[in-house]
Amino acid sequence: MDVQISHIVKTFGKVRANDDISMTFQSGHIYAVLGENGAGKSTLMKILSGFQPPDSGQIVLDGQPVVFASPADALRVGIGMLHQDVLDVPGMTVLDNFILARGTHLLPDRHRARVELSQQADKLGFDLNPDAYVDSLTIGERQQLELVRLLSLGAKVLILDEPTTGISTDQKEVLFNSLRRLAHTESVTVILVSHKLEDVNALCDSVVVLRQGQVTGSADMPSPTATLIEMMFGKDLPRSGQRPGKHAHKGLNTVLSVKALSVPGRRVSLKDVYLDVERGEVVGLAGLDGSGQRGLLRACAGLEAPTAGWLYLEGRDVTHLNYHDRVGLGVAYTPAGRLEEGLVAGLTLTEHVALVSDRGTWVHWNAARHEAKDKIEHYSIRGTSESRVETLSGGNQQRALMALLPQNLKLLLLESPTRGLDVESARWVWRQLLARREQGAAIIFISPDLDEIIEYSDRVVVFFGGRATLIDDPSKTSMAELGRLIGGVQS
Amino acid sequence: MTPLQGSANTSQHSNRWLAQALVLIVGLLIIVGGIVAVLLLSGKDPASALNLFLQGSLGDATQRSLVVMRGLPILLAASGLLLTFSAGLWNIGIEGQMMFGAIFATIIARSVGNDTSGWIALALELILAAIGGALWALVAGVLKTKGRVNEIFGGVALNFIASNIALYILDGPWKYGARQQTAPFNAPALLPLVPDSGALSLPGILIAIAGFVLVYLILKRSRWGLQLRAMGHSQRSAFLLGVRTERNVLLAMMACGALGGIGGALQILSPDPVSKGYLFPDSSGGIGFLALLVVLLANYQAAWVPLISLFFSLVPVGMLNLQTQIGLDPTLGRVFEEALVFIVVLANGAAARARHTMGEPD
Repeated sequence: MDVQISHIVKTFGKVRANDDISMTFQSGHIYAVLGENGAGKSTLMKILSGFQPPDSGQIVLDGQPVVFASPADALRVGIGMLHQDVLDVPGMTVLDNFILARGTHLLPDRHRARVELSQQADKLGFDLNPDAYVDSLTIGERQQLELVRLLSLGAKVLILDEPTTGISTDQKEVLFNSLRRLAHTESVTVILVSHKLEDVNALCDSVVVLRQGQVTGSADMPSPTATLIEMMFGKDLPRSGQRPGKHAHKGLNTVLSVKALSVPGRRVSLKDVYLDVERGEVVGLAGLDGSGQRGLLRACAGLEAPTAGWLYLEGRDVTHLNYHDRVGLGVAYTPAGRLEEGLVAGLTLTEHVALVSDRGTWVHWNAARHEAKDKIEHYSIRGTSESRVETLSGGNQQRALMALLPQNLKLLLLESPTRGLDVESARWVWRQLLARREQGAAIIFISPDLDEIIEYSDRVVVFFGGRATLIDDPSKTSMAELGRLIGGVQS
Repeated sequence: MTPLQGSANTSQHSNRWLAQALVLIVGLLIIVGGIVAVLLLSGKDPASALNLFLQGSLGDATQRSLVVMRGLPILLAASGLLLTFSAGLWNIGIEGQMMFGAIFATIIARSVGNDTSGWIALALELILAAIGGALWALVAGVLKTKGRVNEIFGGVALNFIASNIALYILDGPWKYGARQQTAPFNAPALLPLVPDSGALSLPGILIAIAGFVLVYLILKRSRWGLQLRAMGHSQRSAFLLGVRTERNVLLAMMACGALGGIGGALQILSPDPVSKGYLFPDSSGGIGFLALLVVLLANYQAAWVPLISLFFSLVPVGMLNLQTQIGLDPTLGRVFEEALVFIVVLANGAAARARHTMGEPD
């Protein structure tokens, strides 16, 4: 299906999120829509998939102008969107979720649905168990379910928002292969919204770049990465080299000591892990999604109870201390879901500042407002002290989260600190984190991005099936070797 | 749910306040229209009915004092509910907590003799009422935090249990004569009245206002209030940002229960005609549920709660006059009150929906 978008305008208050955008997507091609945070990609895709109407402008499908009242409306004419946070019902089985969206009959034909589900999944090369509960699936598998569902409902245009975030390399390969097949043999129009140039290079036929609500360029792939970055940011960023000043592990000043730790997981349990982390050290946890790394991080924070083993913070046994007590000892944890777990949607930045400063019975709002303004300036947050956090862009939310971290941390535990951020925001985050390291904090982080782990970690722990392998000098380890460890291949 | 606004957000705050005023006025107009229609259909003159209603509720000092005094328990319970609603809790058990407050107050009140100091008696009664309400709320809180029982289900069950405990006590140990009630309390156990003012009781009024002001300050100015509001928006985020959420659930429930308990005590400690001056099975009288409606009508905005509480006590007092004069059923007043809540909640929902469709920038 050919999609033609013309002169789309969408404003939110004073912000022109989409400022007269026109573009064309041809049937059977794979497109990437690129742009930094706040460039207007999400707004445009929400308009295209019926989540919100444009202020003005037109969408034309195969020559027919269309107006959508809802996402269901858009799907009825063939536009399906795969959201970054998949919209499914976790407490139900794969088959029930599949049937739910089709519910036109009082009594659904479960047998037929089951056959259709497995046929569709087979065609795409997905391995989905119809009777598995959705909350036992990985993000990658939930995406697969959603794709199967959208296609079985007749989607001819697929919009995918950051689909490779949080899924394993294998799942990414399967996803890309199925998208290629859909585009090239079934003439599906695929639109990928992404920050990851690597993915765009691997998958897409052409790219459209947005900046500040306008189209700043388009190109056929393959195109040099430098060209794309220039279109996205308006300037050429230097290629990032190795981070200077790697910290050599000496076995002194140990901050965190993990001994024989086992943590139960939903599917994979962490078994018998040993790890010492010292002052000023950055340790990256690599591995496929759900291999146990998150269990280790959360157990260190006191959010997950280990079944065996010990945790020591500067020699003190903290195994049985709860999260808040460990925070009191200088541990901090930032979750991947910035707006779901990290910040309180509905509260302003000032209110956040007041919330985390635990002095006295009463809040001094003026002092809190001043502190918030200081932090906004110091952390270059685009927003005001009275901005509610949910109105900030992802990058600015991450900045706010960093601004709320207490001073003098001993141990900083981070879950995907640069998730969904553009290159520039991600570098900013790391500058802040490395400054914390210089102040003596030990940092442990999870990232789905292997490059990020290699670039910033002094040491790396690779997880596979709940077992951890320590790599002392990641710069001397080849990508292939890491890949083998992550994939669980014995060398 | 839209928990309370912080004071950090003044201009937005006053806008919301005005918006809520508009919604309330429009809702009220619709209701008045409905009442006029009903009156016309039943062949009665709306103008004279309105006159009778106003005469009956605000016509003289006694009626006005009745409105004020009956509004106090509603105000206290609604103030408590502001705390729990802010924390994202639906404390539907408030009704049972009020009953428990009344029962605990009775422990003192029924043993107060005619020569006891009224001030000491009253202080002890209200302290015990607060303890009783807080304890009953704590049960719901522990069921929620330790037993993973939703506070709504726990609250409904505890309301039944509270009223059955009251029935048992009033049929057994505290039974007075043949009726299910305690003996009428002696005068020192009751709220002292301002002479020649009808039913006005200064201590009662001061306690209710103090309760509301305390809650208002907690929510707008205190760290604890901010923590509760953060929990109301996202318990998970608040926890990770350092808020001890489980403890705050218990504290918010207990504070609400304590205020409700004091309200329950006022329900039985006023001299006739505001209350009966003794404990009886339905002493809480649905005031807790009414207070839930008050907070819903205020759209969780604290500043509206006193006014709406008074309005909710005005309607039944005024309806009483309509009943005696033109034989209009007084339950009609309740019907219209509840229709008003329905309309306003609907309007607030529609407003939220409109804000949502307007969307937010990415």
